[in-house]
Amino acid sequence: MSLVRKLKPDRSITGPLVPLSMLLIFGLTAWIFNLRIGFYTLGFLTAGYALYTLYVVLRTRNQGHIVALVYQLFVGYLCFNFPTYIERRYLDRVEFALAYFSVLLFFGVLLAYLVLTRKIKWRGREIFELAAEPIETANNGYTSRPRPVGKVEYSRQELLDFVRFAARHLVALPYITSKNITLVPVKMGDEFGRVLGLSDDYRDATWVNFDMDGNVSVHISQKDYLDYREPLAFDELCQSLGQVFIDFAELQKKGEGVRFIDRMDDLRIGIFS
Amino acid sequence: MDFQTAAKIGSLLAKDYAEGMFALLVNYQGISASEAATRLNLHIKTSQDFLEALVELDILTGTEVFEKKRPYIRYALKTDRIVIDLDLMQVARKPVVDELSLRVREKENAGARFTVARSGDSIASVAIWIGEGRDRQERKIKLTPPQGRFFYHLPFPKAKPLTVAEIMHKAGLGEEIAPEILDLIQLAMKYGVVEAIQ
Repeated sequence: MSLVRKLKPDRSITGPLVPLSMLLIFGLTAWIFNLRIGFYTLGFLTAGYALYTLYVVLRTRNQGHIVALVYQLFVGYLCFNFPTYIERRYLDRVEFALAYFSVLLFFGVLLAYLVLTRKIKWRGREIFELAAEPIETANNGYTSRPRPVGKVEYSRQELLDFVRFAARHLVALPYITSKNITLVPVKMGDEFGRVLGLSDDYRDATWVNFDMDGNVSVHISQKDYLDYREPLAFDELCQSLGQVFIDFAELQKKGEGVRFIDRMDDLRIGIFS
Repeated sequence: MDFQTAAKIGSLLAKDYAEGMFALLVNYQGISASEAATRLNLHIKTSQDFLEALVELDILTGTEVFEKKRPYIRYALKTDRIVIDLDLMQVARKPVVDELSLRVREKENAGARFTVARSGDSIASVAIWIGEGRDRQERKIKLTPPQGRFFYHLPFPKAKPLTVAEIMHKAGLGEEIAPEILDLIQLAMKYGVVEAIQ
């Protein structure tokens, strides 16, 4: 497996920016007002983040995000009650403090495990690296048009199974209509905008579309194309991206979808990129 | 009858004084431009231009006569029917083998913006920029469904070009669609969206 990266290094800080901003706001409100207000603010922010995570869970059925959701809800609950615990000196009781600390530690370790094993990582970068792997020529040729790349012989139910699998493993975000099933690969850092619909229309993003006749077409956004170090042959790149998903669907149909996940893991792309 | 002649007749018939003018021509043995102008309350130049145009179209005759030494023209109808018979097939494109074997692909950096149809399997419209500097304008061309499918299957810039016939086959288009596809290609080549490769 080649580890030569074709994408530019990821220097985006959007991912860690959200929790860091929350801590910064907590610090500021606690400093300007008092600790109670600070904790309440942090509680509201965590609850907001939990709502986002809940939406991700509903949208993708990713199990790792359920753990993150429970953790965020617990932290939020703790934030709302912490000032009272301090006032009433609950934390002086060892068994009380130990219980809270154990829950925090348990979920913290579990969450770290999920992050390190890439169970809650959006796999957009892996997809783009896999698509670029066989492309050696660099002659640009970018166009905003989609490209028909082939045909698959799947029933709608089989396609839906594949799409659910892809969503569950955060390979791509699905958009399902009566005529089309579109998969949009999401890179880490882009997930907030894409999931919450704050980014541009998904049709302007990079996507792989399966219509009800099994025709597969691909569109690569200019932003994602410019993320490659070299101006790769665009025609071949589109074909390759479509093929990545066709191969993935083929493996998933045989019940070996996890092999595709392993293939992405083998790329050893950073857990936050 | 060709389009230009039909257009001239059409524009003359569309004048609001046309019916009055023809009523004079039908009921009078002959009439001059000034007589018609005073009768219909028109400027003499308007009346003269109208009658001269009808002479050019061979609908009237214009005969020069003299009043003492002053010459003027009396107009009379040459025919009592105006038939606009326009064969629309004269503008039909007949695809020739050469055009269908033209190898084409999208031109690189054409600056065109393609909008994908809701169905996802064709292009709905192409927006191109024409003009220079401050006169630069966006022109949007809405495509017919077959044209949209053709553009959807058009090879990318730098990709191997395909013949028009091959692209039509890929897009599932029959030969009867060829004229509208060739018309699109001609337009797209004019605006630098498509290039032909020898």
